[in-house]
Amino acid sequence: MKANKVKTLILALVTGLILLTGCTAAKTAKTGPAPVEDTSWMFHDIVDAAFVKAHIAVPMPENVMIIDARPYKVKYTKGHIPGAVNIPFSQFDKNSNLLPKDKNSLVIYYCGGLKCKLSHKSARKAEKSGYKNVKVFAKGYPEWVSQKDNYGSVSAEHVAKLIAENKSVIIDARPQKTKFNKGHIPTAVNIPFSQFEALKGKLPRDLNTPVIFYCGGLKCRLSHKSAAKALEMGYTNVNVFAKGYPQWKKTYGQSNETMQVQAGEIEGSIELERFKSIVANSPESIMLIDVRDADEFAKGSFKTAVNIPVEKLEPKIKDLPDDKPVVFVCSTGARSGEAFYMAKDVRQSLKYVYYVEAEIDFKSNGNIEIKKPK
Amino acid sequence: MFKKSIITFMVLMFTIVSLSMAFASTGPDGNKRKGKYTYRKVYKACSATGQIESSTPKISPADKTMGQWKAVFENKNFGEFGCKDNWAGLSDNAILDIYSYFYHHASDSPTPAKCQ
Repeated sequence: MKANKVKTLILALVTGLILLTGCTAAKTAKTGPAPVEDTSWMFHDIVDAAFVKAHIAVPMPENVMIIDARPYKVKYTKGHIPGAVNIPFSQFDKNSNLLPKDKNSLVIYYCGGLKCKLSHKSARKAEKSGYKNVKVFAKGYPEWVSQKDNYGSVSAEHVAKLIAENKSVIIDARPQKTKFNKGHIPTAVNIPFSQFEALKGKLPRDLNTPVIFYCGGLKCRLSHKSAAKALEMGYTNVNVFAKGYPQWKKTYGQSNETMQVQAGEIEGSIELERFKSIVANSPESIMLIDVRDADEFAKGSFKTAVNIPVEKLEPKIKDLPDDKPVVFVCSTGARSGEAFYMAKDVRQSLKYVYYVEAEIDFKSNGNIEIKKPK
Repeated sequence: MFKKSIITFMVLMFTIVSLSMAFASTGPDGNKRKGKYTYRKVYKACSATGQIESSTPKISPADKTMGQWKAVFENKNFGEFGCKDNWAGLSDNAILDIYSYFYHHASDSPTPAKCQ
C-alpha cells in the first residue's frame, strides 16, 4: 500500500516535470530564432579603437589618414579623434583632393557609432577610387571618447564658444617667455608642459570641469602630453585644440594691419567707417570682443567676435593680446565704452584698445546694421 | 508803428529760441562712458572694504529724472549713494563723468538706462 503511494507520487512528479518541460519547449518553439540584423551596408574591413590609437602620431604620418565623415559644424568642431581630417560624406567628391596621394596609404574612416553609415559609405567610395588599405572604425567617436585613456580634439570655433560660455579652462602648454607672452588665446592659463608638475595647481579643482589644452599646432606634442597627464590626474572632460595657436590666429586674428585702425572722434572709439571696412574685409586683423550678455551674443554677433560679458571682463584683461588691436563692441556703446575704460585702467600698457560708439542692430536674419549714434 | 511791432516780435522770438536752446544744452559735458566705469569702480572698491555687501551699485540713472539728478550733483548731495569715503576721494572730473552718465541715462532722457 505504502509502495503504491510512493509510486503514485513519483508518477505525479514525473508528469509534472514533463508538462513543465513541454511548456518551456512550446514557448521556445513559439519565440523562434532571433531576427538576423542586416549588416550588408557595413564596410568589409572593420577595426577597433585600439587599432586607431596605434596609428595616431603627432604629427600624423604621411601614409596614414584618419577621416571623420561627419558634418563639420555640428559634429567635427565639437570633438573629433586627434589628428583626424574632416571629409563629410556629403562632400566626398568635392574634397577628394584631401585624401592621401599614395593610394597604398592606410585610410581609416569613422563617424557617429554603429548606426552611422557615413564612414561605411565613404570607405566604399575611397576603395572605388583606388585606395587599397581602407578601414572603418565602426564604433566611431562615441566609442573613442568613452575609453578612459582617450581624449578628443576640438576646433577653433568651439574654443571661442567655450570662452563665451565661461565654463571651461583653456590651457596653453607652450613655454611662457618665448611663446605665451608673445600671444595666446584670450583667457588661457599658461601651464608649460615642462613645468606641468610644478604648476598643475592652476588646473581647476573640480575634476569634471572641461579642460582644453593647446600648443603650437599639429606638429606640437605639448598639448597631447599635457592632456594625457590631466587624464591621469582624474579629469573627466579633457580635450586638445590640436591645431593650436596658429589656427586661432588664422581664424580670430593677428595680422600686420595693427596700425590701420583709426581712432574716432570720441575718446577710445574706433572710427566707424574704418570699423565697418575691417569687419567686412579683414575681421581677423582685430581681436573683436562682444561684451554683451551670453544670451544676446547667442542670438547673433560678428563672425569673429568672442563673447566676454562686461561683468566677467576684468579678470580676463591681463590675457588680452597686445600684438593687435582689441575692439570692444555691444549694441549701444554703453557696455563697450565701460569695457574700454576698464581695460585702460586695469592694464595701462595695452596700447591698441578701442570700442565701437554706435547703435548696432543684430538682426534675427544674421544681418548687422551699424548706425552712428544720434 | 507796425514796423516797430514786427521788430519787437522778432526780438522776442529770437530771445525765446535762444533761451530754449540754452536750457536744452544744460546737460553736463563730462564723459558718460568713463562715468559708468568710474561709478561701478566706486562700488567695487567699497565692497572690497566690506562697507557694502554687493559690488553692484543699487542706484541706477533711470531711478530719477534729469532734473532730479541735476539737483543731486549740483548740490553734491551724495548721501543716498552710500560709500561716503569713496565718493569723497573722487576728483571733480570723475564726479562730472558720473553726473554725465546719470543725466544722459535718466528716466526722462532719450536713452534711459536699462539693467546695463
